Amino acid sequence: MDTGRYAELFLTESQDNLSAINHALLELERTPTAREPVGALFRAVHTVKGMSATMGYGVVAELTHELETLLDLVRRGEQPVTAALMDTLFAATDVLERAIELSVAGRGDELDATATMATLRAAADAVSRESTPASATPAPTPASRARQKRARASAKSGVRSSEVGGNLTIVIALEPETPMPGVRAMLVIERARSLGTVVHMTPPVEVLQSDRFDGQLTIRLESSAADDEIERVIRSAGHVGELEIERNGSRRKSGTASANGRGASRASPNGTGAPASSTRPTPLSAGRASELAPARQHRHVRIDLHRLDTLMNLIGELVITRGRLQQLAGTINEPALTEAVTQTSRLVADLQDGIMTSRMVPVWQVFDRFPRVVRDAARALGKQVDLVIEGQEIELDRSLLDEIGDPIVHLLRNAIDHGLETPDVRTRAGKVPTGRLLLTASRDRSAVVIRVTDDGKGIDRDRVLGRAHELGLVEPGKSELSDDELIRLIARPGFSTAREVTDISGRGVGIDAVHARVRALGGTVDIKSTKGQGTSVTVRLPVTLAIVRALLARVGDETYAVPMTHVNETVHLEQNTVRHVKGREVLVLRDDVLPVLHLRDVVRLPKRDARGGQVVVLEVADRRAGMVVDELTGQQEIVIKPFDAVKDGLSVFSGATILGDGVPALILDVSSLL
Amino acid sequence: MSHTVLICDDAIFMRTMVGDILQQAGFEIVGEAETGVQAVEKYRQLRPDLVTMDIVMPDMGGIDAVREITKFDPQAKVLMCSAMGQQALVVEAIQAGAKDFVVKPFQPSRVLEAVQRVLG
Repeated sequence: MDTGRYAELFLTESQDNLSAINHALLELERTPTAREPVGALFRAVHTVKGMSATMGYGVVAELTHELETLLDLVRRGEQPVTAALMDTLFAATDVLERAIELSVAGRGDELDATATMATLRAAADAVSRESTPASATPAPTPASRARQKRARASAKSGVRSSEVGGNLTIVIALEPETPMPGVRAMLVIERARSLGTVVHMTPPVEVLQSDRFDGQLTIRLESSAADDEIERVIRSAGHVGELEIERNGSRRKSGTASANGRGASRASPNGTGAPASSTRPTPLSAGRASELAPARQHRHVRIDLHRLDTLMNLIGELVITRGRLQQLAGTINEPALTEAVTQTSRLVADLQDGIMTSRMVPVWQVFDRFPRVVRDAARALGKQVDLVIEGQEIELDRSLLDEIGDPIVHLLRNAIDHGLETPDVRTRAGKVPTGRLLLTASRDRSAVVIRVTDDGKGIDRDRVLGRAHELGLVEPGKSELSDDELIRLIARPGFSTAREVTDISGRGVGIDAVHARVRALGGTVDIKSTKGQGTSVTVRLPVTLAIVRALLARVGDETYAVPMTHVNETVHLEQNTVRHVKGREVLVLRDDVLPVLHLRDVVRLPKRDARGGQVVVLEVADRRAGMVVDELTGQQEIVIKPFDAVKDGLSVFSGATILGDGVPALILDVSSLL
Repeated sequence: MSHTVLICDDAIFMRTMVGDILQQAGFEIVGEAETGVQAVEKYRQLRPDLVTMDIVMPDMGGIDAVREITKFDPQAKVLMCSAMGQQALVVEAIQAGAKDFVVKPFQPSRVLEAVQRVLG
């Protein structure tokens, strides 16, 4: 069979099952006596085994087979769930993952899984040796002796016929290589029962259900059916090769139906259950096939992300063109045109929505591997961690989700390594020995918020501050750090790599890397930390990468785009809106006093009389500020274009876009302004 | 009139493969089920000529599903799909009312033979 086209399906589904295996293992480790995880494990391993055998991935099939054997012992309660067993299972799962990847890449033979398989087998053998002492099962009868044995069996049943009754003896040899011959024999016996009374059979049922059955079967039957009828019915059980019917000394023998190959057995003249032409399905015509298509439910289409990217780019262009069209229609002011444009706009919006939705995937697709990551890190560091994940169903653009996986792993590892204490330290500090690690995802307007919280020792601010003084990063005499200042300090590339600080301060390793990665995605990172109580890192990401809604702000002749994600509200600039407090400009907004910045300053335009302008209230996490602009010119969907024009220039822009009128505009990176 | 089939397996991979084999042979796949519970429900709904049934499935395994289906329709034609090493389970499935079985890895010819036997 051409299995090539199934390879991708195999891979995806195997990955799902691997994830299920890891989950079940973690669950089992937590509650070793629970039965549910063992069942789930068994099912997942079993599914992979079936698929890999079909694909011809030998190493995967062998590994899963050994795993299944061991798990079966666990399931039957013969193998207790010990730490050693868990390690064996976890390790084997990792090898299995590797085996699957390599096999799909056509490099399955590169993997040497003999050691893993030996370990699994040894574990299983240890159990079976215990449970079945000296009474080793007899070796299977060699095939070469099958005939002899059949003769013997036949003779034996002949001898017994007088004792057990019955008027005929059927001697059956299943086709060579019949799968599960024992079960097939059971089917044969079922059929024989429909003919009369089965009074005796050789070998006994116990042998049929073991591996020792060699495919030779003798049935003693009391039946009034004719030989032809008997043969037809028996053969309808399938895989019946030679068949002899003995009736009071007279013997009828029919040759192996399989002699001419399997095809022959189906079309056998003996009426071996081959269907009449009316029951045999005829090949479909093309028309028929299309008629059937809708009947196939639950079908998924897996699409290469690149194709979706192309669609996304096209819809981006279309959105820009729509903006231009709307402007033109506005100028021309022809009702028919306006109506057509409005309709087109609506369709484009729907289309955009559809494409965006098709790119959205729930975060669990990436979060799924975290429990295992946490478990391994905790074990390696000798800590006890209870990971809780919330908001798994929150959806994020596929490309963003792929990007965000590693930074989150980083944050989790950080929390375990530097945040959470060892059980004894925690106990001394009056905490429960098991550290709590919380990973949550939630939606907040057009952003997705991912938060990693631990209840560890928190960041040592004094150490961070001390280091900051050393490097001259804070004003001399500064004695306290706010959360904002903290994140800014430890996110500085040079700062966090300073080894002695990170080791003592307990945090900072790699935060700069996380920060850089998240900002590149248009997101923000915030840290809250309380000494002795824990640390919480919040990552805020746009739901989708390519298209965002933006507020257009003009200063001078230039228009700038401000992503709506960060716009809280806008305020008309009037006499008393902006006040001076201690020489600094502040925006008084209801009960709040916010710092003020001028977009003119940011883009280095000369100041002008601010009256008549507007203030955009920007918000990033808990930080807010008012940004003064000359004028707000509207809102628009903007398509973020790759941006590399300004290398060493201002870092306050996160990208560029083309507005509806075809004029390019820069997109402000709000988080860098606050 | 081609025969209608309900395919029950928790793996999309297996459903696809069995579906392809049967469809190419002219069968009409009228439904798919991922769990035993679904299999029973869909059988009642669709009354297919043939059911292919995986043994190991979440949410009611294949054997219990066969039992339920046969209880509902003693004439139901269920073909068990088994993996190597599941003899005991296949026997149980047959006792529960399954008509025949095929063993993974599937060879199209073997699957079709078994299907013919079940329908014949």
